[in-house]
Amino acid sequence: MKSIHAGLSWPRIDDAPIEVACPFCDTLQSAPRLVEGDAAHCCRCGEMLYQNRPRSLARATGFSAAALVFMALAHLFPSITVDAGSVRRELTILEAAAAMLREGHPLVAMAAVAFTLIAPLSLVGGLLYVAAPLRFGVALPGARGVTRLFQLSEPWNMLEVFLLSILVAMLKLGVVGDIQLGVGIWALAGLVFCTAAAMAGIDRLELWDRLEIALQAKR
Amino acid sequence: MKHSRSAAALGLASCHLCGKLSPIVLGRCPRCGSRLHLRKPHSLERTWCFLFAAGALYFPANLLPIMAVGGLGGTSYDTIMSGVINFWRKGDLLVAGIIFTASILIPILKMLALIWLCLAAGGRVQASPKALTRLYHLTELVGRWSMVDVFVVAILVALVQVGALSTVLPGPAILSFAAVVVLTMFAAMSFDPRLLWDRWAPGDPVSMP
Repeated sequence: MKSIHAGLSWPRIDDAPIEVACPFCDTLQSAPRLVEGDAAHCCRCGEMLYQNRPRSLARATGFSAAALVFMALAHLFPSITVDAGSVRRELTILEAAAAMLREGHPLVAMAAVAFTLIAPLSLVGGLLYVAAPLRFGVALPGARGVTRLFQLSEPWNMLEVFLLSILVAMLKLGVVGDIQLGVGIWALAGLVFCTAAAMAGIDRLELWDRLEIALQAKR
Repeated sequence: MKHSRSAAALGLASCHLCGKLSPIVLGRCPRCGSRLHLRKPHSLERTWCFLFAAGALYFPANLLPIMAVGGLGGTSYDTIMSGVINFWRKGDLLVAGIIFTASILIPILKMLALIWLCLAAGGRVQASPKALTRLYHLTELVGRWSMVDVFVVAILVALVQVGALSTVLPGPAILSFAAVVVLTMFAAMSFDPRLLWDRWAPGDPVSMP
């Protein structure tokens, strides 16, 4: 049974002191347990090694669940609606990719789908799939692969860039017609915030340390 | 502080994905199953390749039109730069600034920064590894924002396509521009910042000449 001190670090598979190598300069150093809210920095290059986020699993679970709800809303409801006389156009996130496909740019369309649908979905969904059962010390089947997948898709999540693009496009559209903001854009803003909060909610090392224990318990 | 050691010198590799420190002889990380490497494999060669490809595509991305706006008075073609100039003339300095920064400044600065990092890691340029690591952080952070222009064109195409008065069509530059963004992201990912520090013996004072 792992000893869990109140507010002092997360459980590790091995209670012996462990070492980490800085991912930026490869300096070997011992990794002390941290009080909640503290971060450990490399003694050579000063980059952050890991941190102990307060109530990390609860945060990761809560924010990623909220992000999934926002994601559904952002895809179902239009972000902006343009009224130009008789013509009325609505924009949902996938509509932009579909337009590129129609105009003969399948590669750009695929990139847009990957960056605004697949990467965010695997990031948020994967985090929820792993973090929520970990609160009870359980690892669902495939948790290891899912964690790998969502960590790899993290740099390709570009929803915040898409949000900025909508704002820029609105300014460009100003002359064309009446622009109305829809539910979609507020959902998108919520999604961007919740995704960032969920990812910042739990440290990579903590997630893997907890996952390691849960995986071992299953064997 | 005690004398610090590099993990690679002891045959220990920290997993790229989960951060666990394991002996390199294991081949795969016992915790997450990723391949173990002391350094990212062929880091400099890969980064140079992605950079050359991105640099070559940078020219069509900026010289060809990124979108065509058709109206009653005929069709006009916009390159990225002419789009910025249009906003500037209209007095939208903020939007002009955002597009100029995201589409022109960030890609070129990012490529220059990565070239500098590669030269420094290869030992051709002397610079403090601490500052270079910070520069690397920055290139990783800002890279995605260049995608703004691609998304803006996609949104405009979707919204104005069947408009009564005007149509917006994507131009040939959009593919090369998206490719520049993706390629520079790959270049930044394949660069290994630990190469910057390997040149300095551990325990050296970080203040460089």
